[in-house]
Amino acid sequence: MAAVQNPPGRTDWAEESEPDLATAIPPPQITKNKDGTETIVTVFINEDGKRVKRTQRIKKTIVKKKENPRVAERKSWPKMGQETGREMGPRPDTTTLGENIIFKPVIGFKSGQQQEKAPEEDKKAEALKKMQIKCRICSGDHFTTKCPFKDTMAPEGEAAQPADMDAVTGGEAAGGLGAGGGGYVPPHLRKGGAATGERMGGGKFERDDLATLRVTNVSEFAEEGDLREMFARFGHVTRVFLAKDRETQKAKGFAFVSYADRSDAQVACERMDGYGFGHLILRVEFAKKST
Amino acid sequence: MRPILLSGHERALTQVKFSKEGDFIFSVSKDHVVCAWYSANGERFGTYHGHQGALWTVDVNPTTTLLATGGADSTMRLWDVKTGKLLKTWDYLTSIKRVEFSEDGKQLLGVTEKRTGQLSNIYVYDIINDVDAEQTSEPSLHIVVDELPRVTVAGFSYLNKYIITGHEDGSIAQWDAKTGEMLNNVYSHEDGMLVSDLQWSADRTYFITSSKDKTAKLHDTNTLEVLKTYVADTPLNSAAITPDPQQYVILGGGQAAMDVTTTSARQGKFEARFYHKIFEEEVGRVRGHFGPLNYVAVDPTGKCYCSGGEDGYVRVHHFDPPYFDFKYEVERERERGKF
Repeated sequence: MAAVQNPPGRTDWAEESEPDLATAIPPPQITKNKDGTETIVTVFINEDGKRVKRTQRIKKTIVKKKENPRVAERKSWPKMGQETGREMGPRPDTTTLGENIIFKPVIGFKSGQQQEKAPEEDKKAEALKKMQIKCRICSGDHFTTKCPFKDTMAPEGEAAQPADMDAVTGGEAAGGLGAGGGGYVPPHLRKGGAATGERMGGGKFERDDLATLRVTNVSEFAEEGDLREMFARFGHVTRVFLAKDRETQKAKGFAFVSYADRSDAQVACERMDGYGFGHLILRVEFAKKST
Repeated sequence: MRPILLSGHERALTQVKFSKEGDFIFSVSKDHVVCAWYSANGERFGTYHGHQGALWTVDVNPTTTLLATGGADSTMRLWDVKTGKLLKTWDYLTSIKRVEFSEDGKQLLGVTEKRTGQLSNIYVYDIINDVDAEQTSEPSLHIVVDELPRVTVAGFSYLNKYIITGHEDGSIAQWDAKTGEMLNNVYSHEDGMLVSDLQWSADRTYFITSSKDKTAKLHDTNTLEVLKTYVADTPLNSAAITPDPQQYVILGGGQAAMDVTTTSARQGKFEARFYHKIFEEEVGRVRGHFGPLNYVAVDPTGKCYCSGGEDGYVRVHHFDPPYFDFKYEVERERERGKF
């Protein structure tokens, strides 16, 4: 009895209305196709008074099912009460489908554990997606610890810090864990530790942040060599970093170019901003210190 | 599973019932109208008009030809399921809180409310299963419940042997269905906590009662002995036993309607709770209603269940495979023949 209407993938059931406004409505034409489907062409006047031609392709499938004869008889009962005279099938005003509920019995069910867990996890994942990872050193979209400049460049504000810290800790009693009233002082900030706990390569190779350009809108097929070639025209390029996707090895769309001299960087910034590279237009600016 | 929402009522549902084959659902609510639905697709078959007050109860006979309803207009009515014709009206002095057909459909009981100087009464009528027949006005049995507190729920046991009643104070009583004599009376629920529902197992040898004391209990019909106890964290309005081979009971409840506005849906605990019938352990919940569940009913063929809520909706749930496949390890072992 089940006639499956409009099998998925067929969208051509509503066609444009025809220009000629003949008043006569031809009877629906039914043609049988070779593949067992039927094509029904109906012409009717729609709510706006327009003539509409509708082509439906219908595939009929016969599903046989055993049923209790009493149930089958009840199915064909004419409707009554408020439903008198209405057609078969659920009506949207009284019957609606709810949202899908996953119900799976589990041993040791605890309220709030089973069903609440899922949405919470979703939330976490969503929060992660929303959270933008921003490097404190180069403002790239990676963690600070993964930054390629982490050895050469301190996060913003840190350069000024040690001096202040020294001033603070200088007044304190020498060394000692929890010495004085000042609570815990991390070893590298203690007076004795300041000398030994020198940061590896700190300061010496620290990149001159003022001469670093941030290049965005880089084509994903770009290579570091291409960038170096382009930017070397304006002065000595000390370093080119092109952010790449770890898995695909394709460029992520941004890069950093460091110059030995800030004035070169200035020129490069002006010249290269808006330069067409690949199919994209580069955007070049001085690398901002992250806040 | 995708629940089907039936929104034919304008006010809170009070009872929902399946036909014996599970193809029909009958629902009554406080809006005076009885609705009949096809459970398979949620299509409304029709409505039954005539009651002048809130409806409290509905039941259908085993052949799905006669429908009995009772309500606050102090009448119990009998309807032709197919045409919606009113066949018989019995008038009382107080409202009808519960109607139930016997297992064979030959008897119908009605429980009147204890109010305004009237005691709770149980009336039993012999019913002729023919829509054209003249139904009797004289009860074949009339029990005046004078010693026990108000009767809230009642039902016929197997073979019409006993009538079991649940009372306002949490007690359960057993009556001889022939003579009307009280045989047994037990206090299985907490004192003073109303018995809100009584539903039978398929063979009516045991039944489940739910109570406002936040528990549902499985009772033996003969001895009224408590076989199992299911502890919930909210006052219960209804409890149902799923037919074999599935071993669940479904409990429905939630905070009283008057407290609802101050709580969110989750805190209100408006969920159908599934417990394992034997192990008394909760195995899952089904959410959806925006108010307490006033009644839960299980399709006698076990394919679906529905719940009627204070929010005016009936939600019909057709079970998914996990429901049918779920078993405890000991059950699996028994199947493999270890025991």
